Amino acid sequence: MDVSQYLDIFLDESKEHLQNLNTSVLNLEQDPENPDTISEIFRAAHTLKGMAGTMGYKRMQNLTHDMENVFSEVRDGKLKVNAAMIDVLFRCLDAIEEYVSVISETSDEGDNDNEPIIKELNDILAGKGASEEEDKPKESVAASAEPAAAAAAADASSAAPAVAWDFTEEEHKALEDAMMANKKLYSVTVTVQESCLLKAARAFLVFKAIEERGEIVAAKPSTQDIEDEKFDLEFSLIIASEGELEPILNDIKAVSEIADAKGGIFEGDQAAESEAEAPSAPVTEKKEESEAPAPDPGTSVANVKNVVAKKPETAGSGAKTEKKSGSKPAVNRTVRVDIEKLDSLMNLVSELIIAKNSLVSSATSSAESSNLHEQIEYLESVTTNLHESVMKVRMVPIESVVSKFPRMIRDISKQLNKPMELYMSGEETELDRTVVDEIGDPLMHMLRNSADHGLEMPQERIARGKPETGSIFLDAYQDGNNVVIEVRDDGNGIDVERVRQKAIERGVMTEEQAYAADDSDIINLLFMPSFSTAKQVSDLSGRGVGLDVVKSKIEALSGEVDVKTKLGEGTTFSIRLPLTLAIIQALMVVVGGEKYAIALSGIQTIENISPKDVKTVESKEVINLRGTVIPILRLDEILGCDSQREPEEDMIVVIAKKGDKLAGLVVDNLIGQQEIVIKSMGKYINKCKFISGATILGDGEVALIIDSNALI
Amino acid sequence: MANELSTNVNEITQYIVIRIGEEQYGIDIKYIDNIVRMQQITRVPQVPAHFKGVINLRGEVIPVMSIRIKMGLAPDVVSKDTRIIIVKMDQHEGIGIMVDMVKEVVNLSSAEIERVGFDRGDNGNAYASGIGKHETGLITLLDLEAVLAGL
Repeated sequence: MDVSQYLDIFLDESKEHLQNLNTSVLNLEQDPENPDTISEIFRAAHTLKGMAGTMGYKRMQNLTHDMENVFSEVRDGKLKVNAAMIDVLFRCLDAIEEYVSVISETSDEGDNDNEPIIKELNDILAGKGASEEEDKPKESVAASAEPAAAAAAADASSAAPAVAWDFTEEEHKALEDAMMANKKLYSVTVTVQESCLLKAARAFLVFKAIEERGEIVAAKPSTQDIEDEKFDLEFSLIIASEGELEPILNDIKAVSEIADAKGGIFEGDQAAESEAEAPSAPVTEKKEESEAPAPDPGTSVANVKNVVAKKPETAGSGAKTEKKSGSKPAVNRTVRVDIEKLDSLMNLVSELIIAKNSLVSSATSSAESSNLHEQIEYLESVTTNLHESVMKVRMVPIESVVSKFPRMIRDISKQLNKPMELYMSGEETELDRTVVDEIGDPLMHMLRNSADHGLEMPQERIARGKPETGSIFLDAYQDGNNVVIEVRDDGNGIDVERVRQKAIERGVMTEEQAYAADDSDIINLLFMPSFSTAKQVSDLSGRGVGLDVVKSKIEALSGEVDVKTKLGEGTTFSIRLPLTLAIIQALMVVVGGEKYAIALSGIQTIENISPKDVKTVESKEVINLRGTVIPILRLDEILGCDSQREPEEDMIVVIAKKGDKLAGLVVDNLIGQQEIVIKSMGKYINKCKFISGATILGDGEVALIIDSNALI
Repeated sequence: MANELSTNVNEITQYIVIRIGEEQYGIDIKYIDNIVRMQQITRVPQVPAHFKGVINLRGEVIPVMSIRIKMGLAPDVVSKDTRIIIVKMDQHEGIGIMVDMVKEVVNLSSAEIERVGFDRGDNGNAYASGIGKHETGLITLLDLEAVLAGL
């Protein structure tokens, strides 16, 4: 079977499920009894197994299968979660991750059987099963019962649409519940196209489609068998819904590679008929459930294990659909788009905006009829909306990056023997896709830094009257046109004096320089290459690589890093990133006859200031604006041009803000607000720090963009 | 050297001949992306003097340099003949070079080109890769790598 076209989807989804598993197992460690978490893990492991199986990755399938088995036992309350088990599970997840990464590189799963892990998983199962050893003989009964049942099921399904339903106890109960709730019951038979490759995947999509409109109370073959592709071309479902049948059928048919879906009202007498059969089902079920999973992983016994694992699943999925209908799942309607296509779309929007700007400027200069102006205004709103929509398409929540951190912190905590907790907020904050892809490493460095250098050892913490467990916070939020991500810890803080000593030792600064420099300058030394204050080089950090990498990476994304620290109380690293990288709202100003753009997001207010209100403090010019002393910067001097305003005239001061710092930029004149497209000036001219780029104005002229953040 | 010349004797290279001051220079045509008339150049603060600024070349922002200043000659005097030659080399981004005038395109066979040895530096011509002998006179062939190096 050629499945290569599904490889990308497989990889993406596997990664997603792995992430899910990692998060869930972490939760489980905190709350070992939580049934939701347990069934979540079971479900994810099960899906992974199914996917690996469909793609023909046997080793990965085996591993996930055994993991699923353990969870099946846990869910049924036959096994207790303990620390050793969590460790095995994490190792198991790592091994699966390795499979996935090997597959993504070579599209083959490699030849690592991960036998030690499989053995440990089986030991967990066996450890529990030992006491029930005497049940073993019954296995053969179950083993022989199952194929017979499967054969019967296959027969029945081929005889559809007159489906002979024989419900399990759970299904039966679900049916009754649905009838009690006054829901309509429909019996639907779905036929898959003969050419369909991933029948199970299609069936899954059908289930998803149905779950939007109702719930599946019974299936034939069982949902488990359907998911394992143990059906021919048809399967039948009983759906409980409050709505009509027609839209459900239409939804099912809308799934690709589905040949047909037929259905009708599910008759009550059929239910009654099946009720008669019901008693026999629970008997076999009970028998199987009392089964101990095979302690020795022989091939013939593996079959039996399947049975044991499978049966509870039907029960589980029944419970799952019930739960789902309670809190209706928001199904994402998404399309995967190549980022290059988006980029080209974005470029077209940029061109459109430039063309629009030039229309605007020619219209204002030629004083045409008001109709033209109206049309231009309309065009303006369309281009702005278009730009926003394209931007939004490129935005993804940072969750995809940060969700791996709790696991990382847990591992570090174990490795260093330092109890610590990671608290995250604002995972839903969205950023441009390219930024999100790049931000993972810097954040990881910073978290490791906090965990390793920031937090003290527990004895030390207790001695200082702090809680034994250290806390690390990762907060993300939007601030105007920026996104701020903060990594905060309640550890020791940065010992500025030690950094100062180190700077002198290393010859980075002379003694006089070091003592003259203020604390923030000293702290900034930490961002220099090969400057580490860790007394010991550890496996995690302290090798002098890290913070400088963080800084250069963030700056490459036009962002910046800031540190606040208090000795003994903790450190906060904050990363500030621009929301968009391509098109911004800007204030156009004139300085010395030249036009410049200043990003509107960095501007607080614009003030008229009389020259006599300018005072000098420490030979720097400042103004007192409503009680706040703000330094002023004369842009004509900085930019090297001559102001065309008379010195005694009132000054136009643009008050720019960066975090909580303010500065006043003195300009000659204001032109107005405009949407501008940021163009890079290339690498020849990048030495000028406060010019962040250039833009093309409506008349074709190039104007430079002043980065007010770099000036403050 | 003689061997090298005899083997490539039939190889013809096209050069665009430009004038800077009283001298003729040649630029290999394969590096030339475009030649545009003088237009408004936006000054960029705090860059070396030979950077005149940036221009808008059909929606792209391209830096422009003065080869006169780079060579240590008197600053450019803009006339109706002044042109900006946009050159693109593999390793570099596009850049504009201001020249006094673009004269013509000439074909030079390798026999007509005298390679310059290691004695560069005379006449401020550290940027010459060779001298072309043509009926219109001698043409200094520019070594663009050297011109753009260290920018």
